[in-house]
Amino acid sequence: MLSFITRRLLLGILTIFGVILITFILVRVVPSDPAAQWVGGRATPQQVAVAREELGLDKPIYVQFEHYIKDLLKGNLGYSLMTHQPVVEELKKRFPATLELVFISCIIALLIGIPLGLISAKDKNSWIDHFSRFFSIGAISIPTFWLALVLQLIFFMFLGLLPSGGQLSMKIKLFQTVPNITGFILVDSLITGNFAILKDFLKHLILPAICVGAYTIGLVARMTRSALLEILSEDYIKAARSYGLPERLILYSYALKNSLGPTITAVTLAMGYALMNTFLVESVFSWPGIGKYIADAVVCLDYPAIMGVTIFAACAYILLNLIADIIISLDPRVKL
Amino acid sequence: MSKKSNYYNILIKQKLEILKEYLYLLEQNKLTFAALIIILFLILIAIIAPIIVPFPSHIYGAVNPQDKLLSPSWTYLFGTDEMGRDLFSRVLYGTRISLLGSLIAVAMGLLIGVPLGLMAGFYGGFIDEFIMRIVDMFLSFPPLLLAMAIAAFLGPSLKNAIIALIISWWPWYTRLIRGQVVSIKEREFVRAAHAIGTPSWQIMFKHILPNCISPVIVQASMDLGGIILTLAALSFLGLGAQAPIPEWGLIVNTSRTYFIKAWWYGIFPGMAIFIAVLCFNLLGDGLREVLDPKTKKY
Amino acid sequence: MKKYCLLIVVTFLLFSFFAFTVIGNSQTDDFAFYAYNSSPVTDWDPSVEFSNGIVSLNNVYETLLRYDPLEDKFVKLLATDYTASSDGLTWTFTLRKGVKFHDGTNFNADAVKFSVERTINMNQGAAFVWAPVDKVNVIDDYTVEFRLKYPAPLDLICASGYAAFIMSPTAVKSHPDSWLTEGHEAGTGPYLLESYQQERGEVKLTWFKDYWGGWEGNHFKKAVIKDVSEAVTRHLVIEKGEADITIELPYEDIASLQDNKNVNVLIGPSFQNLILFFNNEKEPLNNKLLRQALSYAFPYEDVVSYCLEGYGRQGRGPIPYGLWGHSEELFQYNYDLKKAKELLEKAGYATGELKLLLTYMSGDEAERKTAELFKAKLAELNIDLEIRGMPWDSQWALARDNNSDKRQDIFIMYWWPDVCDPHCWLYSNFYTEEEPFFNLCYYKNQEFDSLVDKGFEESGVDRNKATKTYIDAQNILVEDAPVVFIYDKKNIYCLNKTFQGFKDNPAYANVVFFYDTYREK
Repeated sequence: MLSFITRRLLLGILTIFGVILITFILVRVVPSDPAAQWVGGRATPQQVAVAREELGLDKPIYVQFEHYIKDLLKGNLGYSLMTHQPVVEELKKRFPATLELVFISCIIALLIGIPLGLISAKDKNSWIDHFSRFFSIGAISIPTFWLALVLQLIFFMFLGLLPSGGQLSMKIKLFQTVPNITGFILVDSLITGNFAILKDFLKHLILPAICVGAYTIGLVARMTRSALLEILSEDYIKAARSYGLPERLILYSYALKNSLGPTITAVTLAMGYALMNTFLVESVFSWPGIGKYIADAVVCLDYPAIMGVTIFAACAYILLNLIADIIISLDPRVKL
Repeated sequence: MSKKSNYYNILIKQKLEILKEYLYLLEQNKLTFAALIIILFLILIAIIAPIIVPFPSHIYGAVNPQDKLLSPSWTYLFGTDEMGRDLFSRVLYGTRISLLGSLIAVAMGLLIGVPLGLMAGFYGGFIDEFIMRIVDMFLSFPPLLLAMAIAAFLGPSLKNAIIALIISWWPWYTRLIRGQVVSIKEREFVRAAHAIGTPSWQIMFKHILPNCISPVIVQASMDLGGIILTLAALSFLGLGAQAPIPEWGLIVNTSRTYFIKAWWYGIFPGMAIFIAVLCFNLLGDGLREVLDPKTKKY
Repeated sequence: MKKYCLLIVVTFLLFSFFAFTVIGNSQTDDFAFYAYNSSPVTDWDPSVEFSNGIVSLNNVYETLLRYDPLEDKFVKLLATDYTASSDGLTWTFTLRKGVKFHDGTNFNADAVKFSVERTINMNQGAAFVWAPVDKVNVIDDYTVEFRLKYPAPLDLICASGYAAFIMSPTAVKSHPDSWLTEGHEAGTGPYLLESYQQERGEVKLTWFKDYWGGWEGNHFKKAVIKDVSEAVTRHLVIEKGEADITIELPYEDIASLQDNKNVNVLIGPSFQNLILFFNNEKEPLNNKLLRQALSYAFPYEDVVSYCLEGYGRQGRGPIPYGLWGHSEELFQYNYDLKKAKELLEKAGYATGELKLLLTYMSGDEAERKTAELFKAKLAELNIDLEIRGMPWDSQWALARDNNSDKRQDIFIMYWWPDVCDPHCWLYSNFYTEEEPFFNLCYYKNQEFDSLVDKGFEESGVDRNKATKTYIDAQNILVEDAPVVFIYDKKNIYCLNKTFQGFKDNPAYANVVFFYDTYREK
């Protein structure tokens, strides 16, 4: 187990290094002037030259790369060209919002996906099976950003039930001091018992969570269904049936539990996909997380920010994959 | 009739039989069949798009600012955009861009990924390690992120977005094929071919490949949908097609500014993306049921 | 097991039911809420900030003078009077007494000297506006003298929206260099910086009790400037009355807001104009006749009607309407396809068949629409115009590419003043540059250059003479057609009808001076 983990971590580090190298080279190839962007729209040539020197852009590429790696090891991801703030700080501030979103959406996905897959496998080839299969394929096919717009249209524009974006409404944000204990609004408002904020937050959370979780719902439903189908055709289930055990007991106590393994791993992987979906959803809903950050950075080509988020997201994804594999390996039937 | 033409006749008949069998199976699964029909329909639209659109000049250049942001009507079935261009024409033409872009990306991905996978699996050893380490490196990334980073650094354009997608996708095929090759490699008929001195590349392409191509076909057909989706996502973020190209994701992105005044603007191109991707996924799903020997119904 | 699950679910439902019926709100003082379209501050250091941050800084800091371009007069802020010597080289300012900095120290001539010299020495942001200054001398506590290297309009410079803020020497000197940038301030303005949350893009201001202007009468005591980057959200908050003032809404939305009884739409001149720069160095646009032909082929009216929904006017020369130096007598091209064709023939391109590359800043809808309209019109002349949206950074880098063949043929960008002076346009955009910087038409004309230099020196002494010189320079520009003056933008502010006292000042783009505003029920 340990050697497996070490091997995977080393591979992960190698991957990150390769990506940094490639993106670093690409940045220098594209026509752009980070120094000019740093000083802002209307600088003098001397100021740009000074900035170039300060940012170390006049040195040869390998020296720059060396500096970048050194900084990286110290935990310094550089300074955002847009905001002049350290990228690490920016990520730290925005990460809780994204984490909350991804986490809640995965919970929703599990709450909807698993029962859906269960029903589907139980009554195979019934109309409900066809419906849920169609629904889950639809969920993984739907363009997340379009779903976001459609939901906004229906629930905000036409029905006026839910807000169009943000984490909290303007009134709450400006009139109340939002508690900041853990950095997670959901947790903080529960701890301090501020139900107004909690209610407001949930209202703002639900649409983005659905959008981010749509793909995961489909994935979980399909995985649950196929895992259950495979298990239900196993011999020991037939044996249990022949003993006269009630169907419900067989389903929940034996089949479902055994199918949760692959499903949970799928969810861990899907969390990685959900992270990607936040890039698309957060800007539509003005959710102040990492997704919006990179969407903005990409528009004005803020390279340090883009590279910072890429490295961060890649690390998260590798970690999630590793956790997924470890969970699979807990199943004694699987060989590492 | 010469022996050769006789041989070919029989060959053709055999292939037709197999095709008929597959189509019969496909037909059993009505949903998949419907998806196939819709896809063929979309391909048709893509091909004849420039001819059938009501306002061909509106696709790219000409602007008609007096008619800006009109709601759907009989003249403008999907309404008009902020430059007065007919959205119906642009969405129809967008089919061409999305399908073609996706086809190119998948084809190039296959072209790069399959031979590499064959080589890795067949030769094993150092070549295998080397190729698979690179593949693992790429696969450690969520596809959208990799494509985003590459497209951002290459410069936002449709061409660069497709290149970014090719780079992000080929490793999947390599890994898929390699896994298959490794298990097929030890089979009798491969050993036999080897024994009679067939050159390696012939073994790889003529003997091994046909036997492991089915999961790749399934994956590729689902990827056709997945790449349309990712391409649209890239354009939505501003990294893919740029104005005035009528790419679906780009149109949805532009529609956001006019969300209040013209709410219908972004619905149609998004719907187009959804339908296309859904059909490809259904097709892939159906193909998997047909081609995968483990889940064959008989 | 099932029974427990049911119990948990029921408890949760009851819990959430109660939660939804309990409301907790706490009211605080009334405040002004400005829904800004971008980050309200980039750098809190007043010597450095050269971007959106002026909307925040101008409420926390003050300058010696404030310029009102619409009435062409100066409002005396930290200076109560000033004189200039007849040669324009020595300027003497009498300072206001009884002004306190936010840290409690007194405002005096030392502070002025410190602030100006600090800005000049740091040489960042808009520090170049102080270029004519040679020395700053403290005559006595409330008199300060500027000695210039050459005549220049120092009053305008002191009233600049950037780089002219006066800060407390005590506060700045007693803290490390980065103290200001981290989010602290040391100004004399009517408001203190109460809090700044960067990731939420929120600047909260609260009143400075010892402000020299006093707090009698109606003034907002608190204000919030917040980054609301989605245009749709800005529209909604002003429509619903959640915000007091906002800017940069899509032009298409303005008409419906004007009908809204709860919203006041204020339309005023801005000094921002959109200019189209031809590449005067490269073929084929180094041909003057071709440039003139294209100037006649540009759809000026369509652009103003459809891209700006009428909220703008066609540019007449490089100086925007309302600013001194602008002349209504200047020649103005108009959309005339016949004339364009004639000139095309004369230029040797009777059949068109040209391919040109135009770059604009991606994300800017108005620029994109303008480019598309131009593309359509040029297509009628059989000229293929490729339009390419690029992030500002890349667009600018391409225009300054060392390989001049790689550069674009046409470059569109906005220009706006740092100092309210025609020199700002004429110098930055048209003066000969060895290495291109903002002269992105790569225009090199000695005669023009000398006129600009002459005008600048005259503007320090005799405004009328300078105006005349500048107009002569502009006539050359119009004739040579190195650029197309597309339009002068209008500023559109959408206000809540209870938000009163706001007056637009185009010299301070998008700045709301909260001190003048108040709530009227």
